[in-house]
Amino acid sequence: MIVGKQKPLEEIWEMIRTYKKVLVFGCNTCVAVCHEGGNKEAEIMASLLRMKAKQEGADLEIKDFGIERQCEHEFFDSALENIEWADAVLSIACGAGIQFVAERWPEKIILPGLNTTFIGVVDEPGVFSERCLMCGDCILHLTGGVCPIARCSKSIMNGPCGGSEDGKCEIRPDISCGWQLIYDRLKTQGRIELLDEVIPAKNWVTSRDGGPRKLIQEHLKTDKEETSHDSAE
Amino acid sequence: MNAKKKMEYLKTLLPNVNIDPARIEMYNLSAAMGPRWAEICTEFTEKIKKLGPSPIWLAENKFTGKE
Repeated sequence: MIVGKQKPLEEIWEMIRTYKKVLVFGCNTCVAVCHEGGNKEAEIMASLLRMKAKQEGADLEIKDFGIERQCEHEFFDSALENIEWADAVLSIACGAGIQFVAERWPEKIILPGLNTTFIGVVDEPGVFSERCLMCGDCILHLTGGVCPIARCSKSIMNGPCGGSEDGKCEIRPDISCGWQLIYDRLKTQGRIELLDEVIPAKNWVTSRDGGPRKLIQEHLKTDKEETSHDSAE
Repeated sequence: MNAKKKMEYLKTLLPNVNIDPARIEMYNLSAAMGPRWAEICTEFTEKIKKLGPSPIWLAENKFTGKE
């Protein structure tokens, strides 16, 4: 899932303070799991901002609302009234959700209340860690299910590097060496010989080097060649 | 335990809006501890009185000219 972190309240305040009607808009899927951008967090943030507005003497009305996903059109119906009401929408969705709202309401001021940080997992309640950089060409079958792109600080394809010590990374001693993890996993699986294979240099064209990516599923598309929503692309 | 952790989290949020985290506390009591409850209420009331009006109250009155 996508993990994010709310921006500092002061930074948010600077963004919103000149508007009259602000909607704090939560997204109740990915960023709700890390308790940063869900509908409950929208309520809390709106409450803090109301307190801030009161102390600053700002003539600012703040509402909160949330939907299940800000990255899909079908979830927006219940939010239309609130979005129309607002001068500015402070979205605490991930960057995709924020942009999607901005595309749908191009005349509206859409502000980011959250920094999107990574795609990760829930190690344990309250602990989230990165697992995937979305490179677009998965090689987990060669590395025992541990991604060298995401888990190695240097994203090297044939590791470990000389900075690995006692299973830890030289970049930060609190993170495990990705290639040590790969070695341990392959050893557990009895497939250590996979490490003898040289993995070719990565072709980053499947990642961001090829520009913004798109997936088209012809069997899921609507009959219309272009919908009004596509025009924002 | 969850409530306690959430209270700790709330105490980290309040300074962002200039509110002293000491203005909120959590106590664990059973329904049979009426006298202790009364004691806590008295103590907490005293504590809040010492802390003075909340910044929200002050701001509301300042901007409405009631101060």
